[in-house]
Amino acid sequence: MATCTDPSPRSVVEALRGDRRRRPRADLASAAGLRSILEDGIFALVGDTVPTTPFIIRASSLRQASLSTDISQSAHARVRGILINHVLRLLSVGAVITNPFDDAQRAWRLEVGSSELLVYVDRLSSDDLARLATDVTAHAVTLTRTLGPVSPHWMARSAVRATQILCHGSVIVRDVVDLMVGTTVGETANVALFDVTTSPLGQGAERAMRYHALVQTLRTGVVPLRTSAFSTATGEMWSLDVDTELLTRSAYEVLDTLTTMARHP
Amino acid sequence: MTTFNLRRNTPNDLNELLRSAPESEVALTDDHRRSLSARFRAVHLVEQRRLDAWSVEQAGKSSSTFRWSPASARRLVGNAALRRMVREPLRSPCEAVTEEIDDQLLRCASGYARAGSLASWLASLDASERALVCAEATNWVVQLLEIAQGLDREWSVATSDAYYDVARARTSLRARRDLVIPLDQGRVVVRVRSGGPGKSAGPGLRSDLTIDTLAHHEGVAPRRFIGVWPEAGVALSVDGTMADLRAGARDLVRTAVVQERRTHRTAA
Repeated sequence: MATCTDPSPRSVVEALRGDRRRRPRADLASAAGLRSILEDGIFALVGDTVPTTPFIIRASSLRQASLSTDISQSAHARVRGILINHVLRLLSVGAVITNPFDDAQRAWRLEVGSSELLVYVDRLSSDDLARLATDVTAHAVTLTRTLGPVSPHWMARSAVRATQILCHGSVIVRDVVDLMVGTTVGETANVALFDVTTSPLGQGAERAMRYHALVQTLRTGVVPLRTSAFSTATGEMWSLDVDTELLTRSAYEVLDTLTTMARHP
Repeated sequence: MTTFNLRRNTPNDLNELLRSAPESEVALTDDHRRSLSARFRAVHLVEQRRLDAWSVEQAGKSSSTFRWSPASARRLVGNAALRRMVREPLRSPCEAVTEEIDDQLLRCASGYARAGSLASWLASLDASERALVCAEATNWVVQLLEIAQGLDREWSVATSDAYYDVARARTSLRARRDLVIPLDQGRVVVRVRSGGPGKSAGPGLRSDLTIDTLAHHEGVAPRRFIGVWPEAGVALSVDGTMADLRAGARDLVRTAVVQERRTHRTAA
């Protein structure tokens, strides 16, 4: 028996958009249920007293399985991650990047003005700076080759921030999605979330993908179509179609993370 | 007493806020303007004073010196790009933003841009930096477009912010406004802000309502003023009633008083 399979997508953007005919109807009902799962869980954990310092949850809180410091959190890796994110931002508006390290660094400096990490870069020796530049260029080449052209009509926006205050301010959920395509307005689900990392993909990346979908759902009230992660270290891309089960799982992962944070303040 | 309506930033909630806007409009008269001017004049000041919702929210704390950045340029470029998209609907957000930036550069090249203006700042940037400004402005356009496209009614992008110069008080007031929705009678104004609403977001919104009313040529208040925080996914609204306008004016005068006390303390 012959089996016809779908052809593999040729680029990241193509994979994000998928087949337009197969998109489900926009789910506008799940957000309220997810919020109540989170609110009930947080209430069970902290009670009705609002802590003086709220618990802050980020994608990185879920990415790390334990509270130990990850090697990917070293200053070098963080700078590399920031610069690759800037490369993605520039690519998303169709900019032509000739020198990824210099272009991304200039954009980053313009955005932040001053920061500890910029001081770190400024203090690097010429050898270390060249090593960082080579590293960033290698990751940027992987990204540029794989991303594919982003149509300006896909409403692409980059570094999209979200903040949700839960349980009267006991918990603040923060998130930044590296690239988002599609719009929340319409009959069908068509928002695709894209997270780029310079580390290899692991279990933590999968949790972060679910977290992005959860926070986006809470923010807009509309369930996104899919959530994806791409590693510029391996050129590997993971993509998950978002459904209620995935979002519920993420809500419980947030509650588990909170429980760990409450035990180890 | 002011009633603020806190809602989710969803098309249904925003449309409900439009539908339930107060039926009648109120207007500020010349007496109201004279009275406000007298109150501002009573607050001693050394130099020109500028007040807006942000200064009300920060209890008169003076903000740091303004400098252009992708974050401060995105709204100006983004709103102009959205106006362009309304005129030519086939434009995408990114294309409209790119064209707007190109226009600014042209203005600078032809010598029409002042030093320190957006056009001259953009001209001083290199291509990658301008691309970042384009990315920020595109984010702004898309989020504004998502809000606008979810509305059941006609909308337009505000042509400018609302400015009001208080007569003989050396005080200028500025209110941000992004979308204007004309109703059968009157209008509703939408203002979009980054981040999330703080504890003083209500008074800030109320002062925007008052300034928008003062800047109207006939002093007619919007029937409702809606503040949207897309990052937090919430919308806060205040009605254009006389009580709210008075409360907004009181917030502005109080801010001027606090600013003046701070200036005195610093000088001492």
